[in-house]
Amino acid sequence: MADGIDAQRVDFIAVPVEDRDRAARFYEDALGLARNPNSTDTWVEFETGNVTLALVDPKTAGQEFVPLPFGSIVLRVPDVDVARAKLQEAGVEVVGETWDSGVCNGAVFKDSKGKGLCVHRRYAPYADGTQP
Amino acid sequence: MEVQRVDYVRVPVTDMEAANHFYGELLGLERNPNSPGDDWVEYEAGNVTLAVMTPHTHEYEFTALPPATIAFRVTDVEEAKAKLESAGLEVNEVWDSGACKGAGVSDPAGNRILLHRRYAPYPDGTTP
Repeated sequence: MADGIDAQRVDFIAVPVEDRDRAARFYEDALGLARNPNSTDTWVEFETGNVTLALVDPKTAGQEFVPLPFGSIVLRVPDVDVARAKLQEAGVEVVGETWDSGVCNGAVFKDSKGKGLCVHRRYAPYADGTQP
Repeated sequence: MEVQRVDYVRVPVTDMEAANHFYGELLGLERNPNSPGDDWVEYEAGNVTLAVMTPHTHEYEFTALPPATIAFRVTDVEEAKAKLESAGLEVNEVWDSGACKGAGVSDPAGNRILLHRRYAPYPDGTTP
């Protein structure tokens, strides 16, 4: 299997939610993401620019709700401090201090249940000189 | 708040060697040369980066992603399932939603991922 199964791209990231309507308002209003017009009453998608997030209620598939693990989806923002302030203004709890790895900074914030989302900005160029 | 894109999706694992084999060789994803270390290896999945990493070396405990968090687009779900089975993996039965097909498989850490293909056009007539 030299090239494996040739996975071409990620069609969507499923975000487990307990209340799809409430979650949709959060993704639309607090995060400012665009709702995909192909969404239906039972399948709601948001576009982030490069990959689709699908809000999925696990109960509809007979599964228990489990939140995303810590820092799963890392959203690129122009400025982490600005994003952090805006989230807090919108009543969203940001977890801990903004971290700085030396090449990027970020902050994890809470959706209704988990700590699965993070705002992030790489400020250092990559080894080849390019920048995000 | 202005979200520009998803920089990466964190894929928590417990064994980097097994994970590198799965994501690099079995799924056929390209390893990003900018990966910062042996316990944080980034793979390019076409439109988004996956950061395959070990929580236990990053000061928190491993928890698997919820089932079918990441849906990978493949050309043909049955063919992908057969290839992974020939490599010794167990793949769930293929489902068909009426617009797309999918089959679940576990990575070595127990993250349930989805092999996925939409075959129906969208309402505007375009196809994936």
